[in-house]
Amino acid sequence: MVSKDATTPWSRMKRDVGVIVWSSFLAASLASLIFFAYLDPQLLAHDDDPPFWLADRMSGYASGFFFFWLIAAVSGTLVAYLLDTLSEQARNDSEREQAEKKR
Amino acid sequence: MSAVAPEPLFVAQQKIYPREINGRFNRLRVAVIAVLFGVFYVIPWLHWDGHQAILFDLPARRFNLFGLLFFPQDFFFLSWLLLIAALSLFFFTAIGGRLWCGFACPQTVWTQAFIWMERLTEGNRSQQIKLDKAPWTLQKIFKKSAKQFLWITFSAYTGFTFVAFFTPATRLISELTTLSLGGWETFWIVFYGFATYGNAGYLREQVCKYMCPYARFQSAMFDRHTLIITYDTQRGEPRGSRGRGPKKSELGDCVDCTLCVQVCPTGIDIRKGLQYECIACTACVDACDSIMDKMEYPRGLIRYSTQAALEGKPNRIVRPRTIVYATLLLVLIAGFGYAVTHRNLVDLDVLRDRNSLYRRLNDGSIENVYSLRLINKDFKTHDFKLRVNNLADAVLETDGSFNAVTGGEVRTVTVRVRVPPGAAAGNKTFEIAVEEPTTAIAYRATTRFIVPSGQ
Repeated sequence: MVSKDATTPWSRMKRDVGVIVWSSFLAASLASLIFFAYLDPQLLAHDDDPPFWLADRMSGYASGFFFFWLIAAVSGTLVAYLLDTLSEQARNDSEREQAEKKR
Repeated sequence: MSAVAPEPLFVAQQKIYPREINGRFNRLRVAVIAVLFGVFYVIPWLHWDGHQAILFDLPARRFNLFGLLFFPQDFFFLSWLLLIAALSLFFFTAIGGRLWCGFACPQTVWTQAFIWMERLTEGNRSQQIKLDKAPWTLQKIFKKSAKQFLWITFSAYTGFTFVAFFTPATRLISELTTLSLGGWETFWIVFYGFATYGNAGYLREQVCKYMCPYARFQSAMFDRHTLIITYDTQRGEPRGSRGRGPKKSELGDCVDCTLCVQVCPTGIDIRKGLQYECIACTACVDACDSIMDKMEYPRGLIRYSTQAALEGKPNRIVRPRTIVYATLLLVLIAGFGYAVTHRNLVDLDVLRDRNSLYRRLNDGSIENVYSLRLINKDFKTHDFKLRVNNLADAVLETDGSFNAVTGGEVRTVTVRVRVPPGAAAGNKTFEIAVEEPTTAIAYRATTRFIVPSGQ
């Protein structure tokens, strides 16, 4: 029988990686949508000899998307790291604070 | 000092083997999935007036939506549409709970399809568990390869279909058959195919549990009248196994068969109460109903209910929350409908010549030069006439025309506007208009005409 207790929960590392990859993917999709709605990648490459990552529209979209994904993932990693490594003291303090507010 | 508790970094997730169950809710889900898959896989092949009905043509930066043509400048419509989608989700969540999760979410829909393929090749739940524990024999290799073949083929086709929303499907298929797919097209097919394979084949309910933001905030839309999957504790407890026939008086209706747990795709026990892992897929409802039928007890020990109903109070669908959501939704949809049907089918950008503000001709008349960029946002070809308003005695001269502008075409024409000698000096605001006399399609752009002083 498979019950909730029998399934191993994700490790902190796995959970962090999953959440960071996914949430930064969503953020990058939104950023690309808005950014490229207003900017044609071909206009960014007005040189006669654009770099390979701006060679045509599809390359421009892809570079933009992966750039946004990377930046969002960096931010997500920092957030996860800062929250995961919060000292016991600070964590207890903020939890007590919240409990008092509820009361 | 770090407060991180020592924790093993990589623990293999114990797989959940949901047991197959049939019943009215499962039949409903199969029907919904069939419709959604139909919509997704068929749409790229639909044509409308000779063009792909729905196509977000990213390489060409133009978007077909049936009879309508949109451009990146129409981003406003897309954000409006996304707003409508979000509000609909709120509205349906307030009324029906996690209907989205159990029936319509791509994660659920594709996971179901992958589970079906798994059952087809590896057998039912207990056969799957046995197979996974068994040593690697030829038969096991064959079954596992057959599953992987189905999964990978289906994923690749899903990736292909996804890309066909952004690159014309007919072009994509001809490129595929001649093995001349573009680099980015190939990349995105593999990327999306792999995401499908990983999400539906392996991550499954863990996406809902660990990664889905909606699973966390959907409870904000909940109130006491929202539909939830509940186990009727009063009726069921104390649970206990028993034979068929007249019930022992000390036992409740739950026979503790654990079928509701075995069918659960997220592996929870609904009898412990509402848990946020529950995606309201109703598999446990079907499972329990089948047992209640066998025991000849009334159905509904596990059922769709609301907190209010469980407390014996009347259920209200119309309540402040649903009224607010519904009103907002109606306003947004009506506004969208109006804006889309009343949008201008032609767009005109006027750019003044940057090199010279004005030119004085030999006869003393003054000339200003403009670059006009016209976008025909219709699928039909149009002839547009140019006109100047609010500039006395102005004469137009162009190096081209806006005749026979095809659907979706962007055309740039240089225009020289001239006023006769003797015009008062200054900065005059006037209009350059394009219009098609037969239809009422027109656009008026405002710009400036500069007449120098000292004539």
